[in-house]
Amino acid sequence: MARDRNAEIDFAGPVRRILIVVLALALSATFLLWRIDSPRVERFRAALVDKVVPNMDWALLPVTKAVGMVEGFRSYARIYEQNTELKRELQQMKAWKEAAVQLEQQNAKLLAQNQVRLDPQLTSVSGVVLADSGSPFRQSVLLNVGSRDGIVDGWATMDGLGLVGRISGVGKTTSRVILLTDSTSRIPVTVQPSGQKAMLAGDNSSAPPLEFLESPEQVRPGDRVVSSGDGGVFPAGLLVGQVAQGADRRLRVRMAADYERLDFLRVLRSHPAERITDAGVLIPPEVPPALPVAEAPAAPAPEPETGG
Amino acid sequence: MIDPVTARRWTYRALFVALAALLLFLRLLPLSTLPARIPGPDLMLCITFAWVLRRPDFVPALAIVAVFVIEDMLAMRPPGLWALFVLLGSEFLRDRAGAMRGLPFLAEWATVTAVMAIMLLANRLVLALVMVPQTGLGPTLLQLLTTVAAYPLVVAASHLALGLRAPGELDGMRSRA
Repeated sequence: MARDRNAEIDFAGPVRRILIVVLALALSATFLLWRIDSPRVERFRAALVDKVVPNMDWALLPVTKAVGMVEGFRSYARIYEQNTELKRELQQMKAWKEAAVQLEQQNAKLLAQNQVRLDPQLTSVSGVVLADSGSPFRQSVLLNVGSRDGIVDGWATMDGLGLVGRISGVGKTTSRVILLTDSTSRIPVTVQPSGQKAMLAGDNSSAPPLEFLESPEQVRPGDRVVSSGDGGVFPAGLLVGQVAQGADRRLRVRMAADYERLDFLRVLRSHPAERITDAGVLIPPEVPPALPVAEAPAAPAPEPETGG
Repeated sequence: MIDPVTARRWTYRALFVALAALLLFLRLLPLSTLPARIPGPDLMLCITFAWVLRRPDFVPALAIVAVFVIEDMLAMRPPGLWALFVLLGSEFLRDRAGAMRGLPFLAEWATVTAVMAIMLLANRLVLALVMVPQTGLGPTLLQLLTTVAAYPLVVAASHLALGLRAPGELDGMRSRA
């Protein structure tokens, strides 16, 4: 019996070995290609995900919802505690609401006085979370909206409350959101009320640390963290979370978005801020465009001067 | 008429791919998007190695490569690299599968642990050489630990639930009977 097995291996051995070597070379080549021409391979990856994951949609969503229901059911067990807790919170919220209404009125008054236009182009597209990254070291989720819905790389993504992440990788019907907790995520933030600028650097933990704070002593736990809009990555003023001090004495941010259950996400349609590209030229006198049909022959005379 | 050995072999090959699809599906479920404190074990790697050591003919290299390349693509890993190391590791174990059958399970466990550790280090080394940003050493080592800890469970599960037995075990049982 043993001899038989050896004979078989001897017969198939060389062919198999060649196959293995070819496979290994192909895999190395794939990796090198990815390293050299990352965008192309990543586009291929996005297209592949686009093909594969929506097919699993019929199973992904029900299973997710079923597990969610089981967890929701489990939370009924402590419904009494929750109720008292909610009542207490509601009391606090009423006080806050009062404050908010007053502030809103004040804010509206001040805005009217200054004639400020808040970013009018900030609209959003909503999507459902299809899948997560499937790897413990990558924090990203897949949304069911893609280039078909006008999603563009780099747009900010929020849940109901706070910033969640940024679009990175768009397929036709899906797009990937790199969460702020991913170790490759870096976004510029402002800590209020002190106005300190910092970077929020994801590190695969649920509360990413603040980096490059100029004077950390001005920042205390509980301060609000909002996106600063520096570098044009995100629109300014989106709520990120609250400062908290971690066990390692570093300043971290507790996220406002509910990372435990990301369900529906809003992708903010942000447009790049207009840049002034050319150096200043002399301001020409405005030529009325439509009127001078009749005066056309007279017009050419002043024109060369405007160019100089 | 398909001969039963071939039928059995193809059944298990299909089972391997189906298990891979199921595990990948479960991992993609967006149940909790909070980063895990302790990364879960890489069950697919455990299954691959356990099966390669028991029935090398049930897990052809092509199936292993296909499964891990797809996993690379969907799990946002650098495509091809981890699949390459899994292929090399499984080939290494495949060559020694016959010799390992006589040894106690502890020896097999130690060998598999060593192979996994070497694969992990090689993976990190290559990524560092071509300067790809990667996660810290701590979480990856933790995942290695959980994977190594899950290995005996995977072996027991494939033995009991899926009826996967090494040919040697079968022969031994027969001779005893």
